[in-house]
Amino acid sequence: MRKIITIICLVALLAIGVRAAPLSPADVKTLLEHIREKRAAAPSMQADFQEQRKVHLLDEPINSSGKIWFQAPNKFRVERKGNAPSITVSDGQQLWIYYPNFKSAEHYSLARRSPLDAAISAITTALNLENVEHTFHIAGEKAERGYDLELTPRNPSMKRIFQKLLLHMSDDLFAERTDMLQPNGDQIVTTYQNPNHAAIPASQFEFTPPPGTEVSTPLGK
Amino acid sequence: MRFSEKVAFLVTERRGLMWSAVVLIAISSVGILLAFLRLDTEVLDLLPRGFDSVEGLKIYNSEFAQTRELTFALLCQPEDVDKLEEFAPKFVEKLRAQPWCVRVLAGSPMETPDGVRDLQRIALPLLLNLEPEDFDRALSLLQPQKIQERLAQLRGEMESGSPRPEIELTLDPLGLITPSLKPFAGNAAMETDQPLTSPDSTMRIFPTVTNQPSISAFDCQKLMKQVNAFRVSARDGWDGGKLEVLITGRSAYVAEISLSMRHDIIATVLSSIALVGAVFFIGFRRWLPLLGMGFALLLCCLIGLAAGLLIFHCLNMVTVGFCAILVGLGVDFAILIYGRYQQARNEGDAHRVAVADAVHSLGRAVFFGALTTAVGFLALVLSNSSGFIQLGVLIAIGISAAGLLMTTVFFLFVPRRNVPLRSDWILGSVKNYVHRMLGRPRSILAISAPILIALLIIAVVPQIPLTFEANARSLEPKNSRAGTALSLIMQKMPVRWEPVLGIVRASNEQQLHDSWKAISQHWAELQHAAKIKSFSTPNALALSPREMERNRQKLASINFDAARAALENALTQNRFNPGAFASAFELLNQLQAAAAPDYKIPSWRTQLPPGSVWWFLVERYFAQDSLTTTGFVTTNAPVATQEQKNVLARELPVAGIPITLSGWSYTLTDLVPWSHRQLLLISALMAVFDASLLAILYRDLRLWLVQVITLALAVAAMIASMKLLHVPLNLLNVLAFRLVLAIGVDYGIYVLLVWQRSHDVARDLTGVVKPVALAGLTAIAGFGSLGWAHNPTLSGLGIACAIGLFWSLAATIFFTLPAAVAVKPKLPQEHFTKAELEHA
Repeated sequence: MRKIITIICLVALLAIGVRAAPLSPADVKTLLEHIREKRAAAPSMQADFQEQRKVHLLDEPINSSGKIWFQAPNKFRVERKGNAPSITVSDGQQLWIYYPNFKSAEHYSLARRSPLDAAISAITTALNLENVEHTFHIAGEKAERGYDLELTPRNPSMKRIFQKLLLHMSDDLFAERTDMLQPNGDQIVTTYQNPNHAAIPASQFEFTPPPGTEVSTPLGK
Repeated sequence: MRFSEKVAFLVTERRGLMWSAVVLIAISSVGILLAFLRLDTEVLDLLPRGFDSVEGLKIYNSEFAQTRELTFALLCQPEDVDKLEEFAPKFVEKLRAQPWCVRVLAGSPMETPDGVRDLQRIALPLLLNLEPEDFDRALSLLQPQKIQERLAQLRGEMESGSPRPEIELTLDPLGLITPSLKPFAGNAAMETDQPLTSPDSTMRIFPTVTNQPSISAFDCQKLMKQVNAFRVSARDGWDGGKLEVLITGRSAYVAEISLSMRHDIIATVLSSIALVGAVFFIGFRRWLPLLGMGFALLLCCLIGLAAGLLIFHCLNMVTVGFCAILVGLGVDFAILIYGRYQQARNEGDAHRVAVADAVHSLGRAVFFGALTTAVGFLALVLSNSSGFIQLGVLIAIGISAAGLLMTTVFFLFVPRRNVPLRSDWILGSVKNYVHRMLGRPRSILAISAPILIALLIIAVVPQIPLTFEANARSLEPKNSRAGTALSLIMQKMPVRWEPVLGIVRASNEQQLHDSWKAISQHWAELQHAAKIKSFSTPNALALSPREMERNRQKLASINFDAARAALENALTQNRFNPGAFASAFELLNQLQAAAAPDYKIPSWRTQLPPGSVWWFLVERYFAQDSLTTTGFVTTNAPVATQEQKNVLARELPVAGIPITLSGWSYTLTDLVPWSHRQLLLISALMAVFDASLLAILYRDLRLWLVQVITLALAVAAMIASMKLLHVPLNLLNVLAFRLVLAIGVDYGIYVLLVWQRSHDVARDLTGVVKPVALAGLTAIAGFGSLGWAHNPTLSGLGIACAIGLFWSLAATIFFTLPAAVAVKPKLPQEHFTKAELEHA
């Protein structure tokens, strides 16, 4: 019996040993400071991505991949490849989504409480992390490689956008994986690979629809 | 026996009889007041009748749900913005738990699953209400091939990362709801149209509908008592810095206004009595006559109020100013009569003889004074404002009663025994002045005339403007919490300016639909032509029984089984989750049921749950009577000028469709000509009446000219003072001009009648100038006391009148008299002797 108990204790200790170490609030604060410094030093990022979206309207998740360009605090460009390609471009005020297959484009003016907030927040929060502590309760832990952060919205407007955002950061404090859970059960998991922090030309965040494109403004002007 | 002797006999020898009559009148008046007293607190009753815009405002104010709507606002410090966002749902929860709360709008209905579900519930009647071509286009989406194509495309777009298909499929899986809800969709941008959060996020707004049983003042007070109790505990759970809970709305205003009436009555009456009493005592140093004057004035007020109640059945709040004005006016008669009485007693006359002398000497002046004042106030009948009509009639009755009671009942309080005043510095000063004036009138004119002419120039020159306030704020109570709350909300919110209302009443649903259809088309053309900025109407919600029946019959041609099968196939093929499309199948079932010949189309009103936040939108358009509706036009700029208003009045209506254009800005702009008419035309009519009366009274061109010029100069000085002191005119205090004319003319009558008819000018002028000066001061004090009123209408009127009366009094003493002396000198022996002056 004593042997069994000893074995159980050893297994438990081993399990604890391999588990990630939780970060104290002070550690989280320090970590966010470091992230801020990193962003200040390298405000641009481009990477390949893979995304899996579980949407309550669909029986199976949507998988997509492509490339993303991001410039802090809120400019980005997303180019999806595959059977349903698209280009999403935002300069922080306007957002364009262009569908080459349909020769059509959607144009959105970004304002508070836009239905696009979820998609945009997933990108900007994960890749920027500026002042996130004001908007989220943040818990974190040191993983085997890098850090895991759990962001829970503080206020109702953010709660409307998502319930929880899990963010895995590399040792050099850039996002590697995000997992966003929305209030309606939808989930978006994105992984980033081959990051590069070279400067991005401003034109990358501008978009002019190609000639012949049918432009719509689904949410009005 | 002359009339004056009869009066003297009754008040000195038949005191019991007189007292019995007084008690009878008092008991009757009090009885009427107790039995019939009803107060009307409706501020809109102060606006004139006969204006469509005013009537529209009254309809909107009484028949639409906004009458029972309160607006709550939370205002925090900039550093607490996040805390406010976290606190707001707790506040809303507490608000919803209040027994008086029916609904709270805490955000766009489209953001909540309930809001979307409610919208889907009312889709069927609104879909059937579409125009034939729109309905046919919508129905074409039920063709099996189109269902499959549409869902395949939306699926493709979802894979491309577009958020639109998800939004569209959640709200409208079949694509039928969106066309039928176009107006809702347009107005669903309630947040854009009427934001609920300020741009800096420090303020959040919560429109709330209450269950107030009626819109009466008492129910408003009762509700606000509960609401204010809630306000005290509303901050519980807040852990940030200063958080203000602001509340505004019709009920908040009415409760404040009705409660401020009590303050206004007490403050104006007490201050008026105190000021008038002080002036009287300083002038005569007698308590009993002061008591008598107060008693007679109280009796006048009772008579006026009782008669007013019998005539109007309900008294408007503005009539609370009646008592203060009457005290200010009626006291003139008492002072004049008593001044003359005391002069007679000082000269050795017995009590009864002195009473007869006072009544004989000044009865005529009091009669004409009461007549001109009563007519002056009765002219308010021409104002078309029920509140001011009541005020005018009540004062006319009261002042007539004052004329009678001050020459009779007042003497019941005057003691038979006379104790001469040891020294009367006022009388001495007056004697000195009269002596100098009679001796060298031109030297006085040399000072007074240039001053008055300078003021006349100031009054006339356009370079110094007289402010005219034609906005709703000028009618709000001072220090109003509801007003301050509204003002803060307006500051914080980037609200577009107030829209113009277009109110349409119809006799049946079809007429309502046809009217709004035509109006919407017309307003769309105006918007396209950039004549208006935007508009919204209840067009889509105004059902057309004719179109609905026609569209319903068309449903019979649809193969719903095929549509249902196509939907199921499309969902399977595109790997959609069928459970998420239950509302699509439900709508297909409803449409199939509606195709049955005996199907009765449900009203969307019955489909929308009572607690649905969409009612906030619906009730913007529909009154309690669903055939009374309103549309809103946002103009290119705030409505501020007559020209803008005239263009709107010309452009907005559609031929053959009765529509009432209204809104506060529109109405007040509409009333500016009325107000100017009040100022110019009716004041001019009053002046003509006064001038005619004076001509009959004096039958002397020079004296007539002197007084007419005096009146003109006094009014000019009043305007100049208001310009220099930045006292603004508003829609209602323009009435002060005619009141000043009516009262100012009395002063002239008192002194000029004495000047014209006296055989002992110096003595008689002294005897009348002192009471006139005291009467003027008391009238100024009486009107000035209205400045204490919270009601800006009353206080503005009081201040304007006090300024005008000051100049009337000054012009009478320093211009009328010396001018009369200068143009029509009397014989030297009628002046004072040196010995007399030394004695004084």
